[in-house]
Amino acid sequence: MIIPRTIRQFKERIDHKAGPHGELFAPYEGDEVVSLDCETTSLNVKEGEILSIGAVKIKGQKVVTSERLDIKLKPPKSLTGDSIKIHKIRAADLVDGVEMDEALEQVLAFVGNRPVLGYYVNYDIRMLDKFLRPRYGFGLPGKAIELSHVYHDILKWKSIGGNVDLRFDTISKNLDIPILERHTALGDAITVALMYVRLKYGEAPRV
Amino acid sequence: MPSSFNMTNMPFSLLDEPEQTLLRNSLDIGYYQRNETILAAGDVPEGVYVILKGVVSENDVGGSDVDHVFVHYTAEDYFGGWSAIKGRAIHNFIAEEETICHILPTKALLDLCAVNSRFADYFQQSLSAKTEIRSELGGDQDMAEFMLAQIKDGAIREPLIIQQGDSIETATRLMRQQRADCMLVKRGNRYGMVTGTDLLDAIVIDGFPLDTDVAEIASYRLITTASDDYLFNALITMTQQHIERVVVMDDQQLLGVVELTDVLSYFSSHSHVIGLRIERADNIAALREAAEGLSDLVRAVVGQGVKARFVMDLIAAMNGRIIAKLFDLIVPLDMQPHVCLVVMGSEGRGEQIMKTDQDNGLIYRDGLIWPDMYKTMRHFTDTLISFGFPECPGNIMVSNPAWVKSIGDWTQQLSDWSQNCDGLAQMNLAIAVDAHPVAGNHALFKTSRNWFMRHLQSNKVFFAHFAKVALEFDTPLSFFGSLKEKGQLDVKKGGIFPIVHGIRTLALEYRILETNTFKRIEALVKLGQIKEKHGRELCEALSLFIQVRLGQQVVRTESGNVDQTPNTVDLALLDKMERDMLRDALHIVKGFKKHLALRYHLAG
Repeated sequence: MIIPRTIRQFKERIDHKAGPHGELFAPYEGDEVVSLDCETTSLNVKEGEILSIGAVKIKGQKVVTSERLDIKLKPPKSLTGDSIKIHKIRAADLVDGVEMDEALEQVLAFVGNRPVLGYYVNYDIRMLDKFLRPRYGFGLPGKAIELSHVYHDILKWKSIGGNVDLRFDTISKNLDIPILERHTALGDAITVALMYVRLKYGEAPRV
Repeated sequence: MPSSFNMTNMPFSLLDEPEQTLLRNSLDIGYYQRNETILAAGDVPEGVYVILKGVVSENDVGGSDVDHVFVHYTAEDYFGGWSAIKGRAIHNFIAEEETICHILPTKALLDLCAVNSRFADYFQQSLSAKTEIRSELGGDQDMAEFMLAQIKDGAIREPLIIQQGDSIETATRLMRQQRADCMLVKRGNRYGMVTGTDLLDAIVIDGFPLDTDVAEIASYRLITTASDDYLFNALITMTQQHIERVVVMDDQQLLGVVELTDVLSYFSSHSHVIGLRIERADNIAALREAAEGLSDLVRAVVGQGVKARFVMDLIAAMNGRIIAKLFDLIVPLDMQPHVCLVVMGSEGRGEQIMKTDQDNGLIYRDGLIWPDMYKTMRHFTDTLISFGFPECPGNIMVSNPAWVKSIGDWTQQLSDWSQNCDGLAQMNLAIAVDAHPVAGNHALFKTSRNWFMRHLQSNKVFFAHFAKVALEFDTPLSFFGSLKEKGQLDVKKGGIFPIVHGIRTLALEYRILETNTFKRIEALVKLGQIKEKHGRELCEALSLFIQVRLGQQVVRTESGNVDQTPNTVDLALLDKMERDMLRDALHIVKGFKKHLALRYHLAG
């Protein structure tokens, strides 16, 4: 059965508030957001494996790239030709990769209870949750911020009734944000972070 | 930040691999809206900002002045480094467009400065330090001609070879016979070297008999070099090893010996030959030929990137000789002691490189009767034109009677100009006070100059008027924002003229007899009228302007056209580093203009 994320999070909060990871379930008070991105072998959450995870913190108008997460995982069995063509990560690129347990530990420590920002962020969160749940019994605790929604909300006032093109490249072009390194987890996370800062603090983009 | 940060730009390219990693790991990215103040004067800066996208202006702190934009920074430029090191920003930095910057935090900057001294110099030091760092790294741009010469370019001497078993006596006789002072001894497959000093020491100090095998006293640790190595490297080797010869070997094949004296004489040969030709010319045709050789020399020397200041010295000396020689050939011998030929303007300052127009004049003894004077002077000017010295558009030439005057008229003219405030008079005066005697009786010139300088002492108002001209043109720093598309800079109005004229004013006030701006600056520093640091900066800035202008002039004239815009610098043709230096140099000009304004009470 598909249980909506909010309900699951609500349940997990009650279950784990007093547990060893209780601090993750306190409501977030700070002003930071974590932009997160995963490179995976498949766009289907059920089959997919995580190859790398990139994340940076956003503090106000600043993308704090000096505090970042750039994890490469050990190559999974499902690393095949098709996905390699997209993310250009070969098994050979992952030989120094870390184990999933270690990676999840780092992600939880880095993200904490901060809101998580991403482009189609639910996919990344579900991907991570898939591995988190069996080990910890809960998924990422923070609020999710979807970049394309932020973009859409700002844009819809400008183009009433029209369809808003929410493709990654279109958004970055309209926002005039350089795509730093497409298809590396960290590069995408930074680009998304910049787009978010631009949307929150800049003028509405001209379309 | 993995690879979006461009490490190939100065000064970041000075960092080595681990330092670059440290830098990458410390970078943050900031986003700024249009008109947002990134850093305000008095703030503690976060660090150095390197622009990824956008435009940032650096502004003066409000105050009485209207806000004046110093500089615009665009993509890949950095700003705030100096403020970060100092701890407080002294100017405002404002985003002119939406801007994204990499931020290198102050702590990381200081760490990098601590481990890499050249990187530190780059952020802290003056323009001159930057120039030095650049010339150190700048490849062949600033290398002198002789540094680019290879050993095979004619410096190899054929070696004198002697076999093992020959005696010291035979060796000495052979050396004397061949007028050599060193020889190579072949011992089996190896060569050893024996010099005249070695032979002398062997006999006098070590007491070897004359029939000793010369192979016994040879030195077999030969210092070698390859024929395609730079002559310059051979010189360094010799200096390091305290030797005067190196052996040239290509693939174990002995080619010869390079001697220290040959290396040293290599550099001066070109100019020396032309100087000699000018000296020897005994008719106008021969002199014309020598003068034409000069243009080739300039092109060659400039093409090889010899520093503009040295080229200027060379050209001034050569032009002076040509003009003086022509004077000797044209002016009758009995008239020569009674007249003095002066060159003025840039020629008088010795700051000419490309042949610009001739500015010259004649001072003659009061009451001289020389009916042919104007005819002769007309001939003089025409001949110079035929040598390739273009006519002066302002007609400041000896063919114009207005510039041929007796001492009395000359001094009267100078003092009239100095009391007149109109532009033409001021300009004529500026040209005339740079006069420098090149031929005839120099005492005539000195008399009038000394009189004029004394006369000026009592005229304080004059200096204020005179200095004002230096402030007439705006320092064109605000051009930089749109630099990539249409940036054109009149480097004479913006940079050269304010320095030259300001220094000229100060030099007149302190009765400095030098006419060359660099030498005037040195003299002013010696008198304590300019701080040593400022003097050095002004010299650096001026030579940078001249160098940049020259580089583009050469390109324009080489493409075969007449250079219509000799003072224009196309900023798009400069690399980022050159633009940086130009910007620093313009800052120096701006500072100097402020100094002049204060000193001569020209505010307002």
